[in-house]
Amino acid sequence: MTMEYKDYYAVLGVEKSATEEEIKLAFRKLARKYHPDLNKDEGAEAKFKEIGEANDVLSDPEKRAAYDQLGQGYQPGQDFRPPPDWPNRAEGFDFTGRPGADGAQQQDFSEFFEDLFGRAQRQQQGPRQQPNFNAKGQDSHARIVIDLNDTFNGAKRTITLKVPELSADGHMVLKNRTLDVTIPKGVREGQSIRLKKQGGPGYGKGEAGDLYLEISFKPHKYYHTEGNDLYLDLPVTPWEAALGGKIETSTPAGPVSLNIPANSKQGGKLRLKGRGIPAKTPGDLYVVLQITLPPADSPKAKELYQTIAKELDFNPRAQMAAQL
Amino acid sequence: MSKDLLQEQSDLTLDDICERCGLSIDTVTTYVHEGLVDVSGSEATGWKFTQTHMVHIQKARRLEQDLRLNPAGSVLVLELLAQIDTLKARLKHFDPQS
Repeated sequence: MTMEYKDYYAVLGVEKSATEEEIKLAFRKLARKYHPDLNKDEGAEAKFKEIGEANDVLSDPEKRAAYDQLGQGYQPGQDFRPPPDWPNRAEGFDFTGRPGADGAQQQDFSEFFEDLFGRAQRQQQGPRQQPNFNAKGQDSHARIVIDLNDTFNGAKRTITLKVPELSADGHMVLKNRTLDVTIPKGVREGQSIRLKKQGGPGYGKGEAGDLYLEISFKPHKYYHTEGNDLYLDLPVTPWEAALGGKIETSTPAGPVSLNIPANSKQGGKLRLKGRGIPAKTPGDLYVVLQITLPPADSPKAKELYQTIAKELDFNPRAQMAAQL
Repeated sequence: MSKDLLQEQSDLTLDDICERCGLSIDTVTTYVHEGLVDVSGSEATGWKFTQTHMVHIQKARRLEQDLRLNPAGSVLVLELLAQIDTLKARLKHFDPQS
C-alpha cells in the first residue's frame, strides 16, 4: 500500500534541525490559530488535526528519530511506502501500545501516521475492534446560517455539511452530506439545534451520536439582533423626525404603526414591547431612526435648502468651540 | 403563539450532563461555579441544564485539552469569543464591506 509522504516539519513551519522547544512553541502557536472552536474558517479543523499529528511525532524523540530515518529522500505529497515489516524492522523503535503524546486526538490521525506509529495500538485499544464494546457515537457540531425571518415563522431548510469520511483507499476525504432541518420558531443566534442520531456512528451496538447545529443569522441591511431583541434601522425624512407623525412599516413580526415623536433625533430609539424574537417572554423590537436627507439634485430642492439656510438660525457646531 | 415555538428545555440533570459529556461531577460543578452556564438553584441536585449549556461545556472542555487551559481560562476564552461574535455582528451591520 502506498500513501502520501507528509512533511511534518513543514506542517509546523520549523526547520529539520529545530529544537524541542522550537517545536513546542510552533505547535502551541498554530494550535491556538487553527483550533476549530476559535477559528470558524472551513479548513481550520483539518489543519488543526494535521498540526496535532505533526506535533505528536516531532515532540516525541523516538518517533521523531524514526520519522527522520524513514523520511530521507521523500518529498511532501510523494507516494510513500513504508519498509516491509515496519515497525518491527525499525531497530530500537517500538511503538506498539504506546499512547501518543496527546492521546486525545489519536483516532483522527492520517493513514500515514497510523501506518508508522499507531496501527498496532489502535487494534489493541480502539473500541471499534472489541466485539462486546458498545458505546454511543461522538456528537458532532456545525454552524448554520439562517434568515432572520426563519426564526419568526419557523422554517424547513436543506443544509449541506462537509463531513470527513474514510474513503475506500483509506484517505480522509470531505464528503457533502445533505440534511433536512426544521428551524424551530424563536431560535436565537448562538443557540444550538439538536438532531438526534445524526452525529458520528456508534461503536458496536451503540447508537449514533447527535448533531448540534449552532445558529447564526444572515446579515441583513436593516435588521440585526442582540439576544432576543430585534433592531430595525428605519430611514425617516428630516420632517418626519422634526414634526413627528405616524409611519407604517412592515417587520418580521408583522406590520406595525409607529408614532414618531416630534423633535426626534438621529439614532433615536422607539421600543415596541414583545415584537422581537418570539419566545415565552418575547424580545422587544427597537426601531432606530435613521434621518435621511433628500439630495439637493433639482432646482426646487436647492431652493428649499436655501430657504431653510436663510430662515433658520441653526448652527450644529455652535457648541464645538467651547469644548475644544 | 404557535405550539412549535422553541422552548429550550432545561431538562438535563447534572448526572445526564456528566454521562453525555463523559465528565465527572466535580468537573461540571467547576463550570457552573465559574459561571460558564447559568443553572438555577444553589443545590446541585436541582440544577437543570439545556442543550446549549451542554454544547458550551463540551467546547470549554475541548479548549482545555487542546490548548492546555484551566477551567477559568477556557470560560474566559468562551466569554471573549461571544463578545467578539457580538461585535463582529454589529460591525457587519454598520460596515457591510468588512
